[in-house]
Amino acid sequence: MNLALAGIAAIAVAGAVLAVSGRDPRAIVLGLLVVLLAAPLISSPWPGPLPILARIAAALLATRLLVIGLRGETGESGGTGIGWPAEALVAAAAAVAGFGSHGLGAAGLGPPEAQAAGFALAAIAIAPLLIGRDALRLGVGAVLLLQAATLVREALDGAATDAEHLVLAVLTIAVCGAVAVVTTAARAAGGLGMIDEGATDRRRRGRQPDAHRPTERERDRERDVEGERGRRRRAVSPDQASAE
Amino acid sequence: MTVIPFLVAAAAAGTASLLARTHRGLSTSIAVFGLIVMIATATAIGPAASIEIGGSRLAASEWLRLYAILGSLVGLLLVLVDVTALHEPDAPGVIVLGIGAAVLALALSDPGVAVVAATAGGLAGVLVAAPVGAAARAAFVGAREIRALTIAGTLSILATAWLARPLGDLVAAPAVFGAAYLAFAAAVAIRFGAIPFHLWAARVADAAPGVALPLLMAWGPAAFAAVALVWIDQSVAPLVLPFGAERALIAAVGAVSILLGLVAAWIQDDLEHVVGYTIVADAGFAVLGLAVLDPAIWEPTRVWLLVFVVARSALAAWVVAIHGGFGTRRLPELSGWARRAPGLGVALAAIAIATIGWPGLAAWEARATIGTLALPSLLAGLVTIAPVASLAIYGRILAVGLEPVGQTVKVGRGERPSWPTPMPSRPMVGLTGVERTFEKAGHAAGGALDLAWTVPAGIRRNRMGLASIAVLVLGVLAVAVAAGGLGVPAAARAVPAIVEPGPGQPTEPSEPAGSPSASDEASPAPSDGGSGEASPAAGSPGASGSPEASGPLGPSPGSSAPAGSPAGESPGTPGGSAEPSAR
Repeated sequence: MNLALAGIAAIAVAGAVLAVSGRDPRAIVLGLLVVLLAAPLISSPWPGPLPILARIAAALLATRLLVIGLRGETGESGGTGIGWPAEALVAAAAAVAGFGSHGLGAAGLGPPEAQAAGFALAAIAIAPLLIGRDALRLGVGAVLLLQAATLVREALDGAATDAEHLVLAVLTIAVCGAVAVVTTAARAAGGLGMIDEGATDRRRRGRQPDAHRPTERERDRERDVEGERGRRRRAVSPDQASAE
Repeated sequence: MTVIPFLVAAAAAGTASLLARTHRGLSTSIAVFGLIVMIATATAIGPAASIEIGGSRLAASEWLRLYAILGSLVGLLLVLVDVTALHEPDAPGVIVLGIGAAVLALALSDPGVAVVAATAGGLAGVLVAAPVGAAARAAFVGAREIRALTIAGTLSILATAWLARPLGDLVAAPAVFGAAYLAFAAAVAIRFGAIPFHLWAARVADAAPGVALPLLMAWGPAAFAAVALVWIDQSVAPLVLPFGAERALIAAVGAVSILLGLVAAWIQDDLEHVVGYTIVADAGFAVLGLAVLDPAIWEPTRVWLLVFVVARSALAAWVVAIHGGFGTRRLPELSGWARRAPGLGVALAAIAIATIGWPGLAAWEARATIGTLALPSLLAGLVTIAPVASLAIYGRILAVGLEPVGQTVKVGRGERPSWPTPMPSRPMVGLTGVERTFEKAGHAAGGALDLAWTVPAGIRRNRMGLASIAVLVLGVLAVAVAAGGLGVPAAARAVPAIVEPGPGQPTEPSEPAGSPSASDEASPAPSDGGSGEASPAAGSPGASGSPEASGPLGPSPGSSAPAGSPAGESPGTPGGSAEPSAR
């Protein structure tokens, strides 16, 4: 076992545990930043300076996008239902399984620590991704699962090429940007929690409510309707006043 | 020329368009300019051009070139239709970035990197799937899309990684290969929204603008499917394992998507949902293509991918034009639409022809071949003729259009040309011929100025007609592609000049997959000093690494494909790396 890599893997897993168990959005983003910065370093040999710089820049930009999406958020994310110690234990168990099964049936070309970290991240990412009820928590699951996949890929196939690091950097920005978009949309609708009117009543049948952004024409029509209502109210008020 | 200029244009224009998103007109102008540049650069791509960057090779092919040209052209027409109809924010920039990411994925010769690029491109679409200012449910829709894309990306990354190295002891556990094969096929099915993975795709049609639907559900996933096709050819087929259960499962998903997708599209009242489910149905053929390990599947699947993405883009553009013109997408509210927009009626007929076709048409033959290769004969026949049932879908829409004009359509825009102001008439007061000549010239200049001054208002007034023209162009393009025009069959048949070695190739265990040395092994004759253009010899599959398939199970019996046959002349040798004859 390479102790340096094991240490970095432990830091990445700790960041992931913080991200999935935290309730304060700032703590969650901090946890994700730790994961995104540490994950590219669980590699043997280490990537060159340029790929590392690209991954660091991508991690900073990605978390910046998340922060923009959460700016001014005072509410809390759902957090874990089982507590951080349990999440940490799940991650540890998965890491042991990943380390022990290095290569998944054939000789792995990368470090076993990467597979251990990948398994750990995947184990704690599944629940938020599949049953997360708020946008940020689901996004955390998505970011962690993709990082887990790239770590396992590293363990199986060996060090990524420089171009692969560049594409992974783009993927990091894309997934965090997508999460930021969804959190922004959720907050604009009232909070981090996501609403699915169609799913609130399982017995409900028929068409799901439309979720499109209203077009200019629909806005104009709405304004016309509002204006007409206002005119009617104004027209009715004097009569009511005289009646009184 | 390599794909680099195309990718640079797409990245620059897409990013700039999104950065300028608060100025909608500027943002759209940047995207339109970018798409024009992308068409030009795509046309200049050399089919055998390749370049190595950072240890990964970006290689072009005939099919990639056609995909890039059609993607940019269709993207441009979609944006133009959207501008004249609804002018959705963000959609133009996302279309540019999405097409760029798809071409990047197709150009990367290592499927392991290509799936990462395809996933990143798909995630860019979330920007339009969960727009700020939409209903509260849009966030839920966007979250579902992220979930689907993440799971598909993870499955494909793991599958490609699992089989991208010397397989050694894995030979003792053939189930591993089946699991990897199934994982990648499931990833493709999820990306397409194939049944039973269709829920996220159905929700996307609730929130994403119609103009972005083709990118989210067709163009991006089609590139993903093309990468899967290459990967299966390089990494799964050379194993010479039967994969009976896995192939049956994949074929079942494909067949069910085709049949139930059409039924679902038929019962929808919302036209965007009709687009979504017809995409699901058409995508079923792409999924079916993954269930076949015969090299003969290469050409029909790649033909069908191009046919269906162009045809469904045309249908989406048609819906956007209808929505923009009449202010609704609900079919029951669109009585008499064809009477007020006959051009769109003709376009719908063209789209129907392109998607249904008839025996002998390239699209029909592609579907028939896929069905025959993937399914037992009875089911194959059923699946092949199933798209004829789309006649009921198009017939229903047309029947509503021929009804008496309803209130919603009556107050809509209509296609009839008109001009915002009457042409001013200037009385002639000159007496002599010279005076009248000068006066006429002055009137002509004044009239031209009057006309020029009202052109923007004239465009706004006639936007329904202009949208119809753009949709009609898309419909004609779809018919051309479906008929095998624009060199579609030849491009689908052509073998990529540059490919990465699959797991069947002997590789040094100490070398990471995709390392520069591995790429060099797959590289063709030396390039001409940095231009990135491969020499003509690179077109030969025999130059793409080992000519003989020697997978982990040993050399394949029945290897018959001649090594070194020229690209494009060996329809049975797609992928090239593992010489599909290994199957």
